[in-house]
Amino acid sequence: MDKIELKNLLFLARIHAEEREYPEITKKLTNTFNLIDEMNNLDLQGLEPLNNPLELNNVSREDEEKNRNQKDKFLDQSPESDDDHFMVPKIIE
Amino acid sequence: MNFREQRENFRNKKISAKEAVQEALCKVENDKLNIFISNLRDSAEKRAEEIDNNFEKYKDRPLSGVPIAHKDIFCTENIQTTCGSKMLSNFIPPYSSTVTRNCDEAGSVMIAKTNMDEFAMGSSNETSFFGPVGNPWNDSLVPGGSSGGSAACVAANITSISTGTDTGGSIRQPAALCGITGMKPTYGLVSRWGMIAFCSSMDQAGPFARDAFGCAALLDAMASYDGKDSTCSKRDVVNFENALAEDFGALNIGIIKNIEDLGINNDVLEAYEHSKSVLQQLGHTLKEIDFSELSSGICSYYVIAPAECSSNLSRFDGVKYGYRSDQNNISELYMKTRSEGFGDEVKKRILIGTHVLSAGFYDAYYLKAQQVRRMMKNKFEDIFKDVDLIFMPTTLDQAFEKNRQDSDPNRMYKEDLLTIPANLAGLPAISFPNGFKNNLPVGGQFVGNYFKEDLLLNTANKIQEVTDWHKMTP
Amino acid sequence: MAQNDTVINGWQPVIGLEVHVQLLTNTKLFSPAKNKFGEDANSLVDLIDMGLPGVLPVLNEGAMNQGIKFGLATSAKIAETMIFDRKNYFYPDLPKGYQITQLHYPIVKDGIVDLGYKKVRIHQAHLEEDAGKSMHDQYDSNSVIDLNRSGVPLLEIVSEPDLRSAQEAVDYLKKIHQIITYLDISDGNMSQGSMRCDANVSIMRPDSKEYGTRAEIKNINSFKFVEKAINHEIKRQMKILEAGGEIEQETRLYDAVKDETRSMRTKEFANDYRYFPCPDLVPTHISKEQIEHVKNTMDELPEEKEKRFKDQYKLDDYDSKVLCAEKETAKFYEEVVQNCDPQIAAKWIIGELNALLNKNELSLADSKITSSNFAALILKISDGTISGKIAKDILEDIWESGNAVSDIIDSKGLKQISDTGEIEKVIDEILENNKSQVEAYKSGKDKLFGFFVGQVMKATQGKANPGMVNQLLKDKLS
Repeated sequence: MDKIELKNLLFLARIHAEEREYPEITKKLTNTFNLIDEMNNLDLQGLEPLNNPLELNNVSREDEEKNRNQKDKFLDQSPESDDDHFMVPKIIE
Repeated sequence: MNFREQRENFRNKKISAKEAVQEALCKVENDKLNIFISNLRDSAEKRAEEIDNNFEKYKDRPLSGVPIAHKDIFCTENIQTTCGSKMLSNFIPPYSSTVTRNCDEAGSVMIAKTNMDEFAMGSSNETSFFGPVGNPWNDSLVPGGSSGGSAACVAANITSISTGTDTGGSIRQPAALCGITGMKPTYGLVSRWGMIAFCSSMDQAGPFARDAFGCAALLDAMASYDGKDSTCSKRDVVNFENALAEDFGALNIGIIKNIEDLGINNDVLEAYEHSKSVLQQLGHTLKEIDFSELSSGICSYYVIAPAECSSNLSRFDGVKYGYRSDQNNISELYMKTRSEGFGDEVKKRILIGTHVLSAGFYDAYYLKAQQVRRMMKNKFEDIFKDVDLIFMPTTLDQAFEKNRQDSDPNRMYKEDLLTIPANLAGLPAISFPNGFKNNLPVGGQFVGNYFKEDLLLNTANKIQEVTDWHKMTP
Repeated sequence: MAQNDTVINGWQPVIGLEVHVQLLTNTKLFSPAKNKFGEDANSLVDLIDMGLPGVLPVLNEGAMNQGIKFGLATSAKIAETMIFDRKNYFYPDLPKGYQITQLHYPIVKDGIVDLGYKKVRIHQAHLEEDAGKSMHDQYDSNSVIDLNRSGVPLLEIVSEPDLRSAQEAVDYLKKIHQIITYLDISDGNMSQGSMRCDANVSIMRPDSKEYGTRAEIKNINSFKFVEKAINHEIKRQMKILEAGGEIEQETRLYDAVKDETRSMRTKEFANDYRYFPCPDLVPTHISKEQIEHVKNTMDELPEEKEKRFKDQYKLDDYDSKVLCAEKETAKFYEEVVQNCDPQIAAKWIIGELNALLNKNELSLADSKITSSNFAALILKISDGTISGKIAKDILEDIWESGNAVSDIIDSKGLKQISDTGEIEKVIDEILENNKSQVEAYKSGKDKLFGFFVGQVMKATQGKANPGMVNQLLKDKLS
């Protein structure tokens, strides 16, 4: 993984790192991918990917309202808010 | 004191819930191993009084009057829930997990929340923002992880039961390293509602206790169908405590051919061999099975778990709750909040997960890993046509020194070699103490077919009736 | 495949639409919080919509049924198994950092929307959750977030690139609007964002076998803007290609104020949504029974209603089509004809009432016209109590005042004259003044009878009782 790829990956994951940390991060990732790459030695032909071990049928609920307004609780918990909203630094589109 | 005695003492009014709670809280406050993240003296005493005042109502419930500690991954209403992370160090959930709610209902009293690897990512409890936990047998060693605090809590005799979660071995491995019994139920037996997600398709909550009896009673309390978790199984839950008394007869128990080639240390193997003879003495038949795919679980796990975690942990962005790094630009806010709020291991796994899901890599990694998962499930299904249970060691090693990760991270990942396959396939497994070497416990585990918790607990209990490993305390 | 009449200056536009429709449900797609527009900010937010740690989504059956309805309405394939995926991206109004949507296994596939002159193929329609709302104007250095919309169920309807002009795109969009409002799948309110549209536009030479590079135009939220934005984009692309340039595959934003599309700022890095199956939701099987149940509770489709109107009320193609264009009108019509002549009622709704609605840019619901009052008016017309001219005056009066037809007739003295003496007096006068016509009638010109009736009605300003006029005239002329 080169510098540009790592920078892109860090951005996709929204994790900041200084460029001087890049070699160390690359080393750690490479190490793990060496472990993962053992997968390439397996014969997986014809195997259907398995997403969930139980292979259940999904449940659904009735379309009934069951919610109490917890606005104040939610806003109190947030790092920054006014009386009605969560606040963040200005988003420039 | 084990769970059964403690509950009997409450039921016989030898000790009140409040006395039991105060005794446990005293130990919590004297803890030198960093087992706990929060101590809940006020709410615990109040709850204990309530139970004492309503003795008749609570006395026959599965956990009546017994103090319990919960892993800090379970959200608890109005009580700080950190998941071992700086990101949530100030987080007070306005809701409780189904697991902790069920335990409350069952008559237990939550006295503390236990330390854990950050977001359950780790096998040594060293990735916690709140510092590492010491092993009660030797505090320079790790207790295992990620549910290290919960395992140490029972091993150190602070509470007789505690809860944990197991994504790749996070209950069974610390149970083995601390010398107690711990169980990962079938995926879907216990609700995941309110349990902070690491890898949603593998995470499963389960019980810790000194013995299978305590695990059975705690699992009776924890398991319930929950309409709030779409992956929760709708089947009727059996009573596990009652199942301990049942006679399942002589079993065919699968023993993995050439397991010694997987890098398991000799002391662990010796205990394993001894347990095999105990099983035979109990009338069971050992059948050698071919399971060469076993060790392929690791590579698949280190794709799927990071992939799901990278997505599950995206919600921690500093906007609605939790830690925020104050920045005057939204992009910087995201980047700095997440780099400052998460520890190194978590960040590493997020990066791996982001990479394996990204365009151009999905088929090569994620899809392939899901195929390995299918292979693993197919293999288990084949095996369970011939045997009732599989028996193997829980871990490759006994408890190890702190800071081992620094020298070889992949060695740490491989530590989960024997526990991961059950998670990939969603099968139940129980780890129990089966030896004592170098002044440290050793653990062995059964893996069973789907929803065979009753058989696992029953068989482990039968062993514990004729052995004493589970009675040893530090 | 290209139709010559849609070719502009040697270029064939090729258009596909992605229409997002907010579903009419009580609650959100995965949470039991209320689904409603215009409430107090952040008051309709559940733990799930907040993306709090450890909380889990559970699918709303009502939203699923709305999707099935749309599939049935467009003769589409309804999935035996649908799967929800996560689309991962960071944005402050997306609380989980991913949107739950359907990528490979949507609820609906391969539908058809019939525009009359052409059939447009639906590639797929999938269920997904809406994001919250960010607002940027309240503070100088902050944006604010309202999560009421977070988790509201959407059906994204993706057409094949079958449309060949802006007009076809508008017709298609109107047809989609008709279907979803007819079936109460959505209120279809574009100004409140319950229906939003993105357009994929490219152009090619008519004989070309390959489509050109397309641009996606986002944020088009009215029928008028769809036409404008697409036409503008076609022109922009023609200009570039004719100057020898190349079209960049990109997302463009339609600016209704400046009437232009402009490129959305290219991000530092391309977005990579990292779709994967949502592990919190397992595959959902849709049973034949469930589809049957939805079918049985489903309202009539526009085409079905048109056909029934023709059969039941003996209307012609045109009248039934106009009456069924909007569900509200059709419903109004059916209420009116419970008590009066269906053909006269049709004529008056299509003619005078529609004219009033159009002139005032009002919908029936917002007007003062009620079906019972309107039916009373039609009755007076059909039994000859009032003439068409008076009926028109009365209708305008109802439009303004909302008063009952009978009250208006009373207060304005429009009540019919039923006094024999009074009518006889008028008849005598008319016969006296039209002697030659009387002669002609008596010698066999029967058709002139109508002339005398008309004269009497004119003289009485339409108020004479037509039955009595007929009888008296017959007596006097015999």
